[in-house]
Amino acid sequence: MGDCEFPVTNHEVQHHLAAAAHHIFMALKACGNLKDDVKQVLSDLNSCLPNELVDQSSGRLLMDMKDQIRHPEEVIMRWESYQGMIWDSGSTEASRYLDAVAEIQRIICAVEGLPTLSDGWQKELSLRAHCILQIAMSKLEEELMHILVQNKQCYEPEYMSFRSYMEDLTYDDSFLSVEDCNVEPMTRADDSRSSPEQCLLNLIQPEMVYAVKSIATVMFASKHDKEFCQAFVRARKDALEEYLYILEMKQFTVEDIFKMDWKSLSREIKKWEWALRIIVRVYLKSERWLCDQILGVFGQASLNCSFVEITWGAMLQFLNFGEVIAMAPRQPDRLFRILNVYETLADLVLDIDAVFIEESGNFIRLEFHSLLGRLGDYIKGAFREFRNCIASDRPRKAFTSSVHPFTNYAMNYIRTLTSYRDTLNFLLCHEEADGLEPSLEPENGEEDSLYRSCPLARHIRLVASLLEDNLESRSKLLKDEPLQHIFMMNNIHYMVQKIKDSDLRQHFGDEWVRKQNGNFQHHANDYIRTTWSSALFLLKDSERSDRSLFYSSSLREKCRKFIEAFEQIYKNQTGWIIPDPQLREDIQISTSQRVIQAYRSFLGKNSERIGDRYIKYNADDLENLVLDFFEGSPRLLRSSRRR
Amino acid sequence: MPATEYQGSFLSRISIRRNQVVSMDGNHEQELEELEIFQKNISERFSDLISDDSSSSSNSASSSEPFLSIAWVRKLLDVFLCCEAEFKAVLIMGRDPSLISKPPLDRLIPELFDRAVKALDICNAVMHGIDSVRQCQKLAEIAAASLEQRPLGEGQARRAKKALAGLLSAMGIDETSGGHKSAERSWSFGRRGGGGGGVSVTKDRGSGQSRASTWGVPKNWSAAKQIQVMSANLVAPRGAEASGLAMPVYIMSIVTVFVMWALIAAIPCQERTGLATHFQVPRQLGWAQSMVWLHEKIGEELKKKEKKGASPVGLLEEIQKMEKLGQSLLEFSDGFQYPVPEEKLDEAAAQVADLTETCRRMEDGLVPLQHQIREVFHRIVRSRTEVLDVLDHAGKSSAPSV
Repeated sequence: MGDCEFPVTNHEVQHHLAAAAHHIFMALKACGNLKDDVKQVLSDLNSCLPNELVDQSSGRLLMDMKDQIRHPEEVIMRWESYQGMIWDSGSTEASRYLDAVAEIQRIICAVEGLPTLSDGWQKELSLRAHCILQIAMSKLEEELMHILVQNKQCYEPEYMSFRSYMEDLTYDDSFLSVEDCNVEPMTRADDSRSSPEQCLLNLIQPEMVYAVKSIATVMFASKHDKEFCQAFVRARKDALEEYLYILEMKQFTVEDIFKMDWKSLSREIKKWEWALRIIVRVYLKSERWLCDQILGVFGQASLNCSFVEITWGAMLQFLNFGEVIAMAPRQPDRLFRILNVYETLADLVLDIDAVFIEESGNFIRLEFHSLLGRLGDYIKGAFREFRNCIASDRPRKAFTSSVHPFTNYAMNYIRTLTSYRDTLNFLLCHEEADGLEPSLEPENGEEDSLYRSCPLARHIRLVASLLEDNLESRSKLLKDEPLQHIFMMNNIHYMVQKIKDSDLRQHFGDEWVRKQNGNFQHHANDYIRTTWSSALFLLKDSERSDRSLFYSSSLREKCRKFIEAFEQIYKNQTGWIIPDPQLREDIQISTSQRVIQAYRSFLGKNSERIGDRYIKYNADDLENLVLDFFEGSPRLLRSSRRR
Repeated sequence: MPATEYQGSFLSRISIRRNQVVSMDGNHEQELEELEIFQKNISERFSDLISDDSSSSSNSASSSEPFLSIAWVRKLLDVFLCCEAEFKAVLIMGRDPSLISKPPLDRLIPELFDRAVKALDICNAVMHGIDSVRQCQKLAEIAAASLEQRPLGEGQARRAKKALAGLLSAMGIDETSGGHKSAERSWSFGRRGGGGGGVSVTKDRGSGQSRASTWGVPKNWSAAKQIQVMSANLVAPRGAEASGLAMPVYIMSIVTVFVMWALIAAIPCQERTGLATHFQVPRQLGWAQSMVWLHEKIGEELKKKEKKGASPVGLLEEIQKMEKLGQSLLEFSDGFQYPVPEEKLDEAAAQVADLTETCRRMEDGLVPLQHQIREVFHRIVRSRTEVLDVLDHAGKSSAPSV
């Protein structure tokens, strides 16, 4: 290109051609979107043009630009002396302003594209243009903040009301007080209603998104991208803080949370869960969408950084609260609340992964995953505590024959555990169910597979067997042996009933229920034996060889003694309780079958010899009296003779 | 960091010894030896933090970290993490768990936990403090980039001035008087200060009442008070206790409070008034000598700053530099008139280069520093859980098993 020479044919023509070429170069350069190598070629070509000609033509261009700058300068400076906001004055004003800024940008490009001239004009024009541009940028930043603040939208739709969310919760912590006999069966909180649908909200008024975008475009084009992002992040961060305030998320120190009593903490935890759901499912997605709408065209880097900067502080606040609850003492009565938290978070981590997908979001993403791990540890620890509590809780004083609140507590607890089945199966699969008796291993093939595939089943059967052991030792505190059996029957019956009537059955299997029925029968037999054996012994057939008078009186004596024994047992056992009517009836029936039947046949054989007046009750009388047993109100039989 | 190396060898040594000796009866001697090693390590670690700077930064031949720089604070945190790991080894590894549920540890351990919980709040506040430093860094970058442009005209100067004014106001420095504003609260980039957009953000909701604080802690929380409470019940064990496990617990408490104190001193944090006087490192103890020295030096810096204004900005070297350069460049941009004498331009250019370098160091160091503080947070949490687990086991095994 060095030997580029114009043939000297006609001076005039040459001059015109060169001037035209120069104008074309300048125009091409000024349009700004040329690649560097193309620019280089152009300026090389341009440098081949005669010098005085370039100077002359550049000078003319500068003169033109000096004229051209006046109008946009006026537009921009007018807003400096005027206090109002541009976008508040309508879109015409706004686009006029933006056009003016674009014009200044064009002029700067053009001036800087000119070859350096000897006189100061060029420099002066460039500095002046930069100065105007800077004034415009400041103004635009101010406008940006104004628009973002004035047009932010904080939604408070109905589903977001925490109060209605709280009312939905049927979960009641109070069920866990062991001493409270009046235990309502607990159901798991149905939080499906509280989870907002995944949706995108307009966090700023949609018609203003375009305005923000157009400001972004000119600011990025003027290399004021940092200022834009800073202002944008600041405004959006404030909006998020305000939103947390609307959600009533209080800022706590670790110490505050530690000092909170469980009731308030539990409430705060629920609130945290609820707010986190909304923030992650709705707010973060919408925020990301907004960032994408506005910054997406300028590349992923500024989008991601801005998004992370906006949300970082709020996410850290959520994380810290989670960390502190995972640090709390591992108590069984907190297990379900934390299980809820775990499930909420497990449900949300995928969303968190999705919004913080890039490297700049690594920190938040990893922190949430590790928080989930720590909550899992908490759950395992609290479950172990529950098991220990079932195994080692030792009462000091005896209870009545009825279903012990401890059994009630344990069974409700177990039943509630199963509603977290998937989570617990996942968390407990590597936990040893140590102390599991081999006899509890099911033999049945089908159940065996359930048993292996469901770690929770293994664990809760262990708990059930620990509970049985515990009840066994509680029963020993009762003085009467028959009462011990009634106690065991009541409690085992309750356990079996709880299991049969719920989906616990699939965790325990039919085999277990059969075994417990056998166990139960065993106690029933033992009850009859220990209660009645001495009385029944009186009714046994004695040697019939002695047909003397003495024989009759001995029969009378036996009958009297039997009735005495019956009266004593009646007095005792009418005070005992079998709360389940079916069970009560069963025991009454088997008492009748074994005892009244024996009495009936005794009387059948011997009534004549005893004589009617010595027979205080006939078999039917006793059969009716047996119906008073286990009603829980001690009664006395009149000692006076009926006849 | 080489710290992890010694840590490994120390831990394995402890566990091997324990396994050998624990079965024998008299392990008191071994305990004393362990305690001695522990103290020696603490002393060495902290003296590493000094030796780099003892020649008052004039000729730091080694690749050492300037005192209170980001790199130095990171080293300090490494030291903390190492000490902490060793402490745990001394306290629980292979030891009979019932030991730590008996006096005096039954009192000292809960006190230690209490301090740990307070340290967690400090970690959180400092995390947010670093975040606000990062916002300042961004403004400094804008200013530096603008002043790097040539020809330097009024437009560039205006741009720089705006960024620097925002920077200094965010740091709590009133650019008109050159003094500090009353509170470091303005470090936060909440609703005031910042880039000087000048638009009132609070439109509704309790006029300007800071909602969630930008510090990650509630509004009435005070970093200085936290340190005061943490060190309030720190008493060196005496008599027989001094040779037992009470000693490492005491040492670790001092280390924790010192490191937290230094963090608060270095990094902007909510409410630090009186920090200089709130904590003293015990002077008479051999292992604490380096800490005493560091404490004095940081204390001097704090007092110097407190004298100048109501409340100091963070002592972090990079922040100090940013503040100084920011002020000087603000002056330059404020009085900017084209054309600028060559000499003045060169002077400014040197400062701009310095500011750019400072920003680069912040860019490289602040995020890793944040991550490290988070690591400290997690470590404290984990250790607490581990010690609690041991205590729990101890409680179970000592309870009568029925």
